[in-house]
Amino acid sequence: MKKEQVVIITGASRGLGKALTLAFAKQGAKLAICSRGQKDLVAVRKEALKIGAADVLAVNADASNARDIDRFISLIELSFGHIDVLINNASTVGTSPIPYLLDTTEKDFQDIININTTGPFLMTKRVLPGMLQKGIGSIINVTSEAGKTGYAGWGVYGISKFALEGMTETWADEVNDTGIRINMVDPGEMDTEMHALAVPECDYELALPEEVVDVFLYLASDDSKMINGQRFEAREFTPVSASKGAIQ
Amino acid sequence: MNTLRATSFVVPESLNASSPPEIRLGRRDYVKMMMLDRVTGNFINTRFDKLPDFLQEGDLLVLNNSRTIPAVFHVNVLRNGLVWKKNKEVRLARCIAKNVWQVLIPDLQLRKEDVLLFSEGLRARVNAVEEPFTVVEFSLCGTQLFNELYTMVEPVRYEYIHEPWELDYYQTVYATVPGSVEMPSAGRAFSWELLQTLRKRGIKTAYLQLHTGLSYLLDDRWHQHPSSNKERYEIPATTLAATKQTKENGGRVIAVGTTVVRALESVAALPDSKNHSGWTDLYINDNTALRTVDGLITGFHEPEASHLDMLSAFIDREQLITAYHQAIDSGYLWHEFGDINLIL
Repeated sequence: MKKEQVVIITGASRGLGKALTLAFAKQGAKLAICSRGQKDLVAVRKEALKIGAADVLAVNADASNARDIDRFISLIELSFGHIDVLINNASTVGTSPIPYLLDTTEKDFQDIININTTGPFLMTKRVLPGMLQKGIGSIINVTSEAGKTGYAGWGVYGISKFALEGMTETWADEVNDTGIRINMVDPGEMDTEMHALAVPECDYELALPEEVVDVFLYLASDDSKMINGQRFEAREFTPVSASKGAIQ
Repeated sequence: MNTLRATSFVVPESLNASSPPEIRLGRRDYVKMMMLDRVTGNFINTRFDKLPDFLQEGDLLVLNNSRTIPAVFHVNVLRNGLVWKKNKEVRLARCIAKNVWQVLIPDLQLRKEDVLLFSEGLRARVNAVEEPFTVVEFSLCGTQLFNELYTMVEPVRYEYIHEPWELDYYQTVYATVPGSVEMPSAGRAFSWELLQTLRKRGIKTAYLQLHTGLSYLLDDRWHQHPSSNKERYEIPATTLAATKQTKENGGRVIAVGTTVVRALESVAALPDSKNHSGWTDLYINDNTALRTVDGLITGFHEPEASHLDMLSAFIDREQLITAYHQAIDSGYLWHEFGDINLIL
């Protein structure tokens, strides 16, 4: 990764978002992170700076709210001048345990779509103009197995990720040939607070968030310059299989 | 077609665009466009999404990517430590230094050391009163200042706007450098689809920043002449190199907005090998020989606006006024949500 790449990570206060923040911090990135709730975010910022981040802008913001998104990205543009990488990570499973669609209220349906699908749409729409002007940039959407195959028990969460996957392909086609790339990563099931909400009585082995970051580092690097509109499964990914020397 | 008519014009109220084109027409690039020939004064009525048909491979569009910031606030005013006035409107006019701004506060006789309370976390002390502006120093600077300002987000809206359109409607699609108090509106009609079409046809784009200040001071006593209205600009070396190369190759440099004309002509005599930034008070009028810019995409301007002086550097004033009469007769719309004038 180029030193001092400007990397945005939404939902960065815990789980995969936190692991990604720390992974990019180790590479010396300039980070812009957001989440709802300042306390955990400030702690992540502190840790990221300690392990090598060139700078960290931590903003208390809702990644599905258009005004918050404009504030967050405008502060990044004012502070760092440009954006190299956006990782749309923030998401919710909604009510725990996840009810059947048959038992889902309209409000819950809309709330989950708003956070998991509309949020990445608004965030990407706000970030892309700067990338298009420079002719370079990488956007990575975090998806799920439940966004590829419909499962009873994953409810609206799965539907929101199906939409995100379709949106990734549409964005990718729109920006084809501009130097921008938009891809998606299914990190697999991880030992996170969100997974505990989705599968409260999980009895199988889960990956740690820190174990799935390599594919994100690859997609942020110049080694993936020609990759656009692709779906990656983090647990199947090896740096060698993707591109020699992709991961430092 | 171009018989001489009056030397001025009156814009009927019905031609004030009061809603964004994507609301009234479905798409922002569906606004009307008058293509006006600089030499003959002839004009063609068309639609903005037909722009590529009037440009050629090798032409260069230069766009101002300054982003509109929230600029209208309501504050309480402290005098001698006590609340003196409540809920008074303040408009940001221009950033002078890091956390020092000129602001406009209508109908209020402020004094040095008065304090404006923007929010619990943000206040501003009056440093000077220089009518019509007041110079204030904020208690925060940098991202902390902007973070607070963005939590109270309201754009500058004028009297012909009847609905509280969100700040997002006051942005061009390519706005990426926050700093303008009013939208640089000439580029508002561009969609990304149109920009991609232009790129595919070999028409290049380049960007600069000129952060706009407040243009109308809410009181007809005050008019800002361009020579006393300094604006800050930043022009990347790549943009200057692109303008030079375009002209060497026989292409045309087309400014999107009067802000771009002002910025480019301000540095026209300077070497193009580095980034240029500074303040400009350049007043462009019919006596100005344009050195860089060959064409202009702009809106329609009011009779008293100094922008018309700038347009007279591109086209004979009488031909321009004749075209404006035609625009009025054809129902072209004025102001930031209005129609477009391409002068080539």
